[in-house]
Amino acid sequence: MTLSDPVMFLSLLVFLPALAALVIAFLPRDNTEAIKFTALGVTIFTFILTLGLFRSSADGVDFQAGVARMQDLFAVSWIPSFGIQYFMGLDGISFPLVVLTAFLSVLAMGASWPIKKHVKAYCILFLLLETGMLGVFMALDFFLFYVFWEVMLLPMYFLIGVWGGPRREYAAIKFFLYTLVGSVLMLIAILMLYFHSDLTRLNPAQLADAGIVPIDVVGDEAPSESEIQAAYDEWLASDDALAAQLTAAAESDAKTPVHTFNILALQQMGQHTDLFDGEMWMGQTIQWWAFLLLFIGFVIKVPSVPLHTWLPDAHVEAPTPISMILAGVLLKMGGYGIIRICYPICPQAGYDLAYFVCAIGVISMVWGAFAALAQNDFKRMVAYSSVSHMGYVVLGLGVWSMGTWANGSYNADYWKMGVNGAMFQMIAHGISSAGMFFMVGVVYDRVHHRNLNEFGGLFAKMPVYSGLAVGIFFAGLGLPGLCGFIGEVLVVLAVWKYSYVLAIISAAVVILTAAYILWAIQRVYLGAEYKGPHGEALTPITMRELAIASPLMALAVILGVYPNALFRYMQPSVDHQVEQLAAWTEQYDANQAEVQQAFRGEARQVVLTDALSD
Amino acid sequence: MDSSWLPTLLALAWLTPLASFVFILFFGKHAGPHGRFAGTVATGAIVFSCVLSFVAMFGAWLPNNELPEAHHGDHAAGGDHDEHAEDGEHADEADHETFIRPAASPFLLASSGGDRGTISLVADTAEGEGDSAEHHIAPNGKPPAVYGVFYNLVTFGKLKLDISYYIDALTVTMFCVVTLIASCVHFYAIGYMHDELHEPYTDHEVTLTDGTHLVRKGRFYRFFQYLSLFCFSMLGIVIAGNLAMAFVFWELVGICSYFLIGFYIERHSASTAANKAFIVNRVGDFGMLIGMMALWSSLGTFAFGDTQNDQGEVTEPGMFSVLRTEENHYALAPTESMEVEGARVVGEGEEGESSHAGQWLLLIAGVGVFCGCVGKSAQFPLHVWLPDAMEGPTPVSALVHSATMVAAGVYLTGRVYPIFTPEALLVIAVIGCITLFVAATIAITALDIKRVLAYSTVSQLGYMMLALGIGGWSAGIFHLITHACFKGLLFMCSGSVIHAVHTNDMSYMGGLRKKMPITAYTMLVGCLAIIGAGIPTSMYGLSGYYSKDAIIEQAWSFAGANRGNPLLSILLIAPVIGAAITAFYMFRLWYMTFAGEPRDHHRYDHAHESPRVMTMPLVVLAVCAIAIGWSVPGTNLSITSLLEQAQPVGTTPGAEGVLAENLVVPAEQLSHVKAVKIPAGWAAFSAAAFGVLLATIIYLWRMLNPAEIRDSFKPLYAFLWNKWYFDELYDLIFVKPTHWISGLIAKFDRGIIDGIIHGTAATAKAAASIVSNVGDRTLVDGTVNAFANRTWDFGLMLRRLQTGSLRTYVLAIAMGTWITYMLVSFIMVARGTG
Repeated sequence: MTLSDPVMFLSLLVFLPALAALVIAFLPRDNTEAIKFTALGVTIFTFILTLGLFRSSADGVDFQAGVARMQDLFAVSWIPSFGIQYFMGLDGISFPLVVLTAFLSVLAMGASWPIKKHVKAYCILFLLLETGMLGVFMALDFFLFYVFWEVMLLPMYFLIGVWGGPRREYAAIKFFLYTLVGSVLMLIAILMLYFHSDLTRLNPAQLADAGIVPIDVVGDEAPSESEIQAAYDEWLASDDALAAQLTAAAESDAKTPVHTFNILALQQMGQHTDLFDGEMWMGQTIQWWAFLLLFIGFVIKVPSVPLHTWLPDAHVEAPTPISMILAGVLLKMGGYGIIRICYPICPQAGYDLAYFVCAIGVISMVWGAFAALAQNDFKRMVAYSSVSHMGYVVLGLGVWSMGTWANGSYNADYWKMGVNGAMFQMIAHGISSAGMFFMVGVVYDRVHHRNLNEFGGLFAKMPVYSGLAVGIFFAGLGLPGLCGFIGEVLVVLAVWKYSYVLAIISAAVVILTAAYILWAIQRVYLGAEYKGPHGEALTPITMRELAIASPLMALAVILGVYPNALFRYMQPSVDHQVEQLAAWTEQYDANQAEVQQAFRGEARQVVLTDALSD
Repeated sequence: MDSSWLPTLLALAWLTPLASFVFILFFGKHAGPHGRFAGTVATGAIVFSCVLSFVAMFGAWLPNNELPEAHHGDHAAGGDHDEHAEDGEHADEADHETFIRPAASPFLLASSGGDRGTISLVADTAEGEGDSAEHHIAPNGKPPAVYGVFYNLVTFGKLKLDISYYIDALTVTMFCVVTLIASCVHFYAIGYMHDELHEPYTDHEVTLTDGTHLVRKGRFYRFFQYLSLFCFSMLGIVIAGNLAMAFVFWELVGICSYFLIGFYIERHSASTAANKAFIVNRVGDFGMLIGMMALWSSLGTFAFGDTQNDQGEVTEPGMFSVLRTEENHYALAPTESMEVEGARVVGEGEEGESSHAGQWLLLIAGVGVFCGCVGKSAQFPLHVWLPDAMEGPTPVSALVHSATMVAAGVYLTGRVYPIFTPEALLVIAVIGCITLFVAATIAITALDIKRVLAYSTVSQLGYMMLALGIGGWSAGIFHLITHACFKGLLFMCSGSVIHAVHTNDMSYMGGLRKKMPITAYTMLVGCLAIIGAGIPTSMYGLSGYYSKDAIIEQAWSFAGANRGNPLLSILLIAPVIGAAITAFYMFRLWYMTFAGEPRDHHRYDHAHESPRVMTMPLVVLAVCAIAIGWSVPGTNLSITSLLEQAQPVGTTPGAEGVLAENLVVPAEQLSHVKAVKIPAGWAAFSAAAFGVLLATIIYLWRMLNPAEIRDSFKPLYAFLWNKWYFDELYDLIFVKPTHWISGLIAKFDRGIIDGIIHGTAATAKAAASIVSNVGDRTLVDGTVNAFANRTWDFGLMLRRLQTGSLRTYVLAIAMGTWITYMLVSFIMVARGTG
């Protein structure tokens, strides 16, 4: 067991912050500098570990660009009686988010320097939070995912509730209850799916795709059937607990199902079997309900209108670094859940509810933009801009834009564009919104107010800061050459193929976005005089602040000018998933057409028996 | 030089200003005293770009692409583009064979039924010009162009977004024009912005709360930083090889314009004007996005040119090639995918009847893309930002808001010209027509010298759009180029005046020609150029003479071709009246500023001619304003021949409406015949002469008192003075409702949604207390006591847990959640399997 083993490497990556939190617990309470530096060192080391994945090595742990499948996959049996595994891995969808999380954690820890109260507890909770966030993005076992989800929730509650502003308790409880409702809905859906899952229904190839049958593959080449069969036989013969279970289930006559929490296996079941197609309640299928519950759970996190009101309060009350994490990482978990769990596991529900999902996205975009325009609190305005920007993510993930090529085959290119755009937007928003919150924090630390109407003239007093701030706000505005533009334009261009009405509404948001951001810039940075209190405290940006702001600005420019820097890691996996869903849709549409034809031919009975025996 | 050098040369010319921007961004403040050398760096960069552009033009473009001999897109063989020439010839042959083509083909002679005017015009072509061997106009093939990809932004299957280049005669010409004018403006700005080198700089326009004027550090370097970024962005639009890339740089010039308008960030009016400019432009971009979406989802490409493999075969046809195929004789026809996509939007047609879904989609796409151009080129109804943009320093007004950026809208309209259906062209023409008239009328009453010029810019842009819309592609683009020269000149002259008298208000000027002769007479050249001074129907005149007459001729030809629809003759009447108004307000401006006696002696006494670094660019541009319309003696090299070479594919024969059946867009070539040229030329001349005469009578000879005229037309005057009340109207119907809605939404969040949440919480709390109270009362005491004892013990135990340490709490909550979950799952397992 060395670091070149994925189990060790990824576990270290996830649990290092938690271990460090444990170590900090034993440090003396008064030595705040040492505690802060330890915490910062740990976040930096964690970030370096994620960077280590970029290095390509023959035998070690790495993340290869241009590969669609899960990489560095490992599974360790955890609670065998429920088929729960310690199962993690990375692909193009999760890897960028993991890097973003580690990166923003470093910056947020750097931004935590002005924290004076209970530094020790703060650092412990912060590091626990990082473990939770990293774990959510890497976990591939539903149970593990849920555990990490909750682990992340609790430190956040305390970080807002203890270190927040004047209404911190209200905000923290609101955040907690909202998220808890989401968690409960998610838990119900997880159990629903668990009890309807059955590993015996998957064939060897699907088991291999689900990461259950270990198989050596190089690059993105699909293994041949014989290779899969050989690997499968070898696996069945091994002393793997799951293999034994499957063998037992196959041998017994009772057809006992083998349940699983394996997300990849659930995806295979959702797409290739009818396990989740049974009717559940009110004429809807299991997967329809599971999708809805999961979607609501995730969309609370995104957050989308009308489940978004926790966000402005949480942001306004949270301390600056926590706002950065909240906007930069936590909101992404919602989007990540939708793309990783909702769609691949419940494709039919996604297909049926696509318009609903897109409409939620568009409403959030418009709603958030209008609400941002009305705010007088700087941070609240930025918070609402997050609601608006994350609407693009939901919209992009939701577009089920299937076109057909001239020869009648399915054309998923626009769909790929939408989903890739949404994923890009998640990363871009992680950068720009974290930057915006930090920029607000910088002035708040100096003048202790956030009233937009009591600023002005900051350009003269803090020129470097103002330049960077305006740059980052423009990234949020979606200016070409900066990261915000790519995601927005890809999503908006892709939507027309699905629904031109939604496309037109979403395109109109660019006007509102420009309005609220430019107006805020005018009120804060431009003008002749500072209008608020503590004008003397407006000192130029410090080196520490510069060190936090400039990487964000640099990343915003790099991703805006050369988006392939991100797409080369992300796109293969996203494309692969969309292709699978497209294949599923093609199959589904063909079946539907067949069924309809059969109905027309008054061969109802035949079809039903066919369908039952299928 | 081989034409393969073109991309390298132009890319270098394009990127040099970017390098200058980056340098000034990081080091500008410390480059010399107060950042003085930033100006040198930026100027050096743009001059270098200018040299490269001219090298590209004379070294790489012209030697490889012979200019057309006549008014025909028939390219002589040579260079790398033999295949294009062959295309053209091929098309010609096809035309000889089938003289009368199907009705869909835009063919004037055969189709416009009963329109004798047109036929006679064509006959005149043969007799009068004698240079056309054919009696009909064949559609031209693809113009010679170099297309390629710099790098790929992102690819999704067959969908590609690239940073690419499309270089044809228009691109190279625009590079030369933009960099030349930008160089002049840079030199000029070194003089004009000299004040910013002073440390500290006092801004007399800004009064602080304590009554003093604002004193701040100079920002000389920052001005040049923005200028460099602007030049980079502008050249980016020009070189763009696809619509998406054009959109990227479109937004970037928008942001540069924002920075430059708001250069005096301390002035509230400046930052407000900057916001207004950007937001109004975004309204246009919204339309542009819709147009782009319509094209993207139906064609799957934004490319202007075709991607070829090594064998020269087209592997990925661009937009224009898809819409105007060679098989279809380069006539515009929606593709099959467009029909399908369009049907989704406008619905299927009736049984057995075509719904023209593809045509409708093309119309949406065309009008959508044009919306972006409406914003950028300040066309009605989005023209309101441009006059306010004059808050920026004058060199900016000269470069950005008259010569180049605002012309980018016209440029893009000209660039994507092949996708416009006749109906879309009509929209363009009508918008242009309204704009040119509205803006010209407002310019009559304005007193701010820069605002007069601003409205004049809007009006001239309207002319260009009108020309493009009525089929005068080269006329419109030609006017864009001549206008860039003389309007740049006019603005810089006005800047020179403002620099001298420290006010924009013309009522404080007068008689300045004695004090600043160079400025006065170069400005007179500009005025003469803008009104199109020249000897009517001859070959001699200033640059504006050629381009403006070309527009009026095309309008004349258009009105003739659409005689069936008298309403369309407004498209001829308006520009002629507009020409008179233009002449009037331009000479009003000149007389009020330079002629007569000084109105403000204090300012007059302090006025002085500007330094040489400012006047030299004036002279250079004045020469351009005079001569840019001429051809190089002894050759046929001129702007017009270059534009003819760049004529967009398939657009020479004009077009006929499909959705609007009677609409005819006449071929541009037809406007060169004598039957059109002579009356149109005289009309333009007499209109301009009338305008000048009226201005002379009122403002030079003072035979009429302007104040009396004003009083006798009071309501009209107020209407014009208030700019047709556009700002007030927009405030009422857009700005106020937006704020109202946003306030409402914010209230909804706090009131309704949070109200529901709070209500739920309160209800849950109440229910909990009821349960506990009821439980208390009904439970038997003994049980309670027994429980109480146990509870007491339990509490004692719990007390030890209450450590006050967050760590313990977190652990407890995590464990608790987990245990709850386990319980639930056990129950579920028991039920599920048992």
